[in-house]
Parts: sequence; C-alpha cells; structure tokens
Amino acid sequence: MAGAPTVQEKIEGYLESKMPRARGLALSDFIHSAGGWSHEIYIFYANWTEDGRAMRQGFCLRKDPGAGLLRELSSLREQFRVIKALEATPAPTPKAFWYEEDTSLLGGPFFVMEKVEGEVPNPWSRAGKQFYAEAAKRGKLPRSFVEALAALHNLDWRAAGLDFIGVPNGGKNFALREIAKWESLILQSARKPEPVLTELLMWLKANGPEAKRLAFVHGAYRTGNLVINDDAIAAVIDWELQVIGDPMYDVAYVLSDLNREGSPLLSCVVEREFFLDYYQQLTGIEVDLEVCRYYEILYMMRSTAFWLSASGLFAERRNRDLRLARTTYSVPVVLDMAAKALGF
Amino acid sequence: MIPAKQLINEIVTSLREVIAPAIAEPYPKAQAYMAAVILEFVSRQVEERSDIEHQKYVVMLDLLRDLARLPEMDRVIRGDHLTEAGLCELIEHLYAERDSLGEETFATANRRVRQALRMLLDQDLKVAGKAEG
Repeated sequence: MAGAPTVQEKIEGYLESKMPRARGLALSDFIHSAGGWSHEIYIFYANWTEDGRAMRQGFCLRKDPGAGLLRELSSLREQFRVIKALEATPAPTPKAFWYEEDTSLLGGPFFVMEKVEGEVPNPWSRAGKQFYAEAAKRGKLPRSFVEALAALHNLDWRAAGLDFIGVPNGGKNFALREIAKWESLILQSARKPEPVLTELLMWLKANGPEAKRLAFVHGAYRTGNLVINDDAIAAVIDWELQVIGDPMYDVAYVLSDLNREGSPLLSCVVEREFFLDYYQQLTGIEVDLEVCRYYEILYMMRSTAFWLSASGLFAERRNRDLRLARTTYSVPVVLDMAAKALGF
Repeated sequence: MIPAKQLINEIVTSLREVIAPAIAEPYPKAQAYMAAVILEFVSRQVEERSDIEHQKYVVMLDLLRDLARLPEMDRVIRGDHLTEAGLCELIEHLYAERDSLGEETFATANRRVRQALRMLLDQDLKVAGKAEG
C-alpha cells in the first residue's frame, strides 16, 4: 500500500495540473530551504517534454506556514500580485506563475515563481561577507546594487498597477502608517511591557518627517534579499514589506548599521559616498540624511517588532523553530541601539 | 524575555525530537540525547534572577520620586506607575500632556525618564549579554 504523498509529489501533481501540455513531468534538485522565517521555501527544477521537446525550468515555491514572523501582516496573495505587476517593469524580479489559495494541497496558501539563476550569499556569514567584499573590489556589483534600487524608485507605480498595496496621504502620513503597522505587530506579540520601546514609539510618532515624494519602496533592500549572477543583481526578492512611501525609507535601510555588521561597506557591498552619489544621479532624488536618520531609528523599532513577534511565536508554541527562541535576547540589544541613537 | 525554564524545556524537546533522530552516527546521536537528559536536570536547578527585578523596582521608585518634584506632575503620576506596564503608561501620558505641561517641564521629565530607561535596559542587558562590566 502506498504511503501518504510527499511534499515533492504533491508539488509535482500541482504543476501537472497547471501545465496540461507537459508530459512525464518530474522534479529534480528538490530543496526545502531553511532560509525563510516567514515562509516555507521550496526550490526545485521541473523536467518534462512538450511537443516532443525536452523542457526544464527552475521554480521557487513560497508557502504560508500559518505562523510566520509577520503574522497577520503578511499576505502571500499581495506578494504574488506585486511580483506579477513588476514583470512588465524594468525592476529585476522573478516571473510569477501561480498563486494557490487552496490549503488542502500543501497545508497553506502558496505561490510559485521562477527560480532566478544566481546565488544569494548570506551577508551575516563569514563566507558571505568575503563574497561581497571581493565583489565590491571588482566594482560591478556595487553599481548594479544601486541601479536595481534606482529602478524600483524610478518606477511609475501607478502605471504598473501597484497602488493596490495602499497609498499614503501626504505629509507625515507615510511615517505614521509604518509606525502603526509595526505597533500592531508589537501588540500581537509582546508578552511583557517594554518601556524603552514605548519611549521609542512615542518619539517616532512625535517626530515623523514629511515625505517629499512617494515611490515604490521595497522595505528591506539589502544583500541577502538580492539574487546575484555574474556580479549583477539578477532579481530582487523577499517581497513582503513593500510599500508606496518615502524613497528615503529604502535609502535609510541601505545606510543603516543594522545591515553590515562590522563591514565598512553599506550592505557589505557598496561604499557610502559612491552609493549616495550614484543613487542621486540615477534617480534625481536628493538624499536627506536627517530624514534617513529618523528612518534608521524607525528600523530599530521594526527590528524590535520582528524579534518580539519571533520570540512570541515560539513562546506561544505556534512555531517550534529554535532560531525564533534565540531572538528573545535580541530585543534588549536592538533597544539599546535605539536608546543610544536617541541619546540615552 | 522567554522564561529560562520554558526555553530549556523547548531545547530538550528539540534535541529529542528533531536533532537526535536526524543524526546517523551513533556517538553524536548519543551525545544529543544525553544533552537533553542533562538539560532536564539543569532546568530544575535554574531560577530566574530576582536581583534584576529588585533593581528595576528601585529604579522606578527613584524615578517617580524625582518626577513628583517637578511642577504639574502630580496630575500625571499615579502609584500604579511603579511597574514596567505602569511606566509605559506614564511615558504615553507625558507625551499626551506635553502641551499642557509646557516644553521645559516635558523636557526635564523626559530626560529623567530616559535616564531611568537606560538603567532598566542595562538590567535586561545583564542577561542579553551586552552589558558593560
């Protein structure tokens, strides 16, 4: 008697249903990646024949595990729609194939997109840091890093149909919306009061900058969220935090110390002055360092929200991954960074 | 922070149900199971640090005493602010009353609150491992 089908067999069956002209479809190089904290990620190749021709295509499947880091803030449907909308733009993104709401197939909603050829070295690892440092010396990757960000910020997001993700009103509305979003995650997650976080939130609310212009913002633009092929950005990935908002929000993330852990290079790959000059040249947007400083502090609040959510999911026994438990000790550390940034 | 006993018990579960079964080699497999057994004993030895909670209490008590000396603060401070949850409320209240308190009083009170927050944070960092000294 045959046992229950494996995940690989279930995915194979799903692809067969979506590709009726494919014959003899079989998956190979099937990997369940441990990388994602928000989603389960499967990477594989499908091999089949179609009209007598041998075909091969790499796929990446992202599945909602039901207890992801962003809890109710994460929407796979929205991610799929964003990637689909970006296909017709100059932004380097994977091709999106299918979104599936039926939870009976894999136990949660999922979507399937193209596996873009290339690598995503982990910038927190020694090998990753070395990869980016060597690429930085060659010079091509730092340029590509800035060009891909500029491509996002230069997008006509209304024409691309991306306004469905929500458009802030003018003035301080963007900053206040972001604060409200992350505060809602904190409220879902916090198991004990954090007075330093309260002071941080109140300061952020009282000092929000006015967005001078709105752009399509990735929300987590850094190495580790970029597929690299031949020293160039082949695709921007991890579409979970995108917003229509102040482009300084992305610029601040690149400038932030949070993303370079000991490296003198921004995001471990690009020199600060080069980044600022080239970004301004490509976008025509003047970088406001004071506004960026504000958003860097907002990111510290956001990191706190992430860690509270992660450790909360573990404490609530909704996710048993020990990596989440470790983050309970990250909360005071990131609050310490924020307190120092605020001068105490 | 997640209570120490809960964390240890979860690590024991992970060692028994995830890590050890996935190890093929007999020696490291036995080590993983033995680590789980030892951690169960350690869990019984562990107590949360009560000195940290005591230090936090002292910090908050001093804060409320100092704030009470500032003008107009008697309508902001309450006795139940002497907890971390109460301190969160006090901070929110201070910002909400900023205009009526006046910028000078607000700034003085906020500076003193931040001083206390620094000391509270230093207590948490004793566990998180980044405290100086």
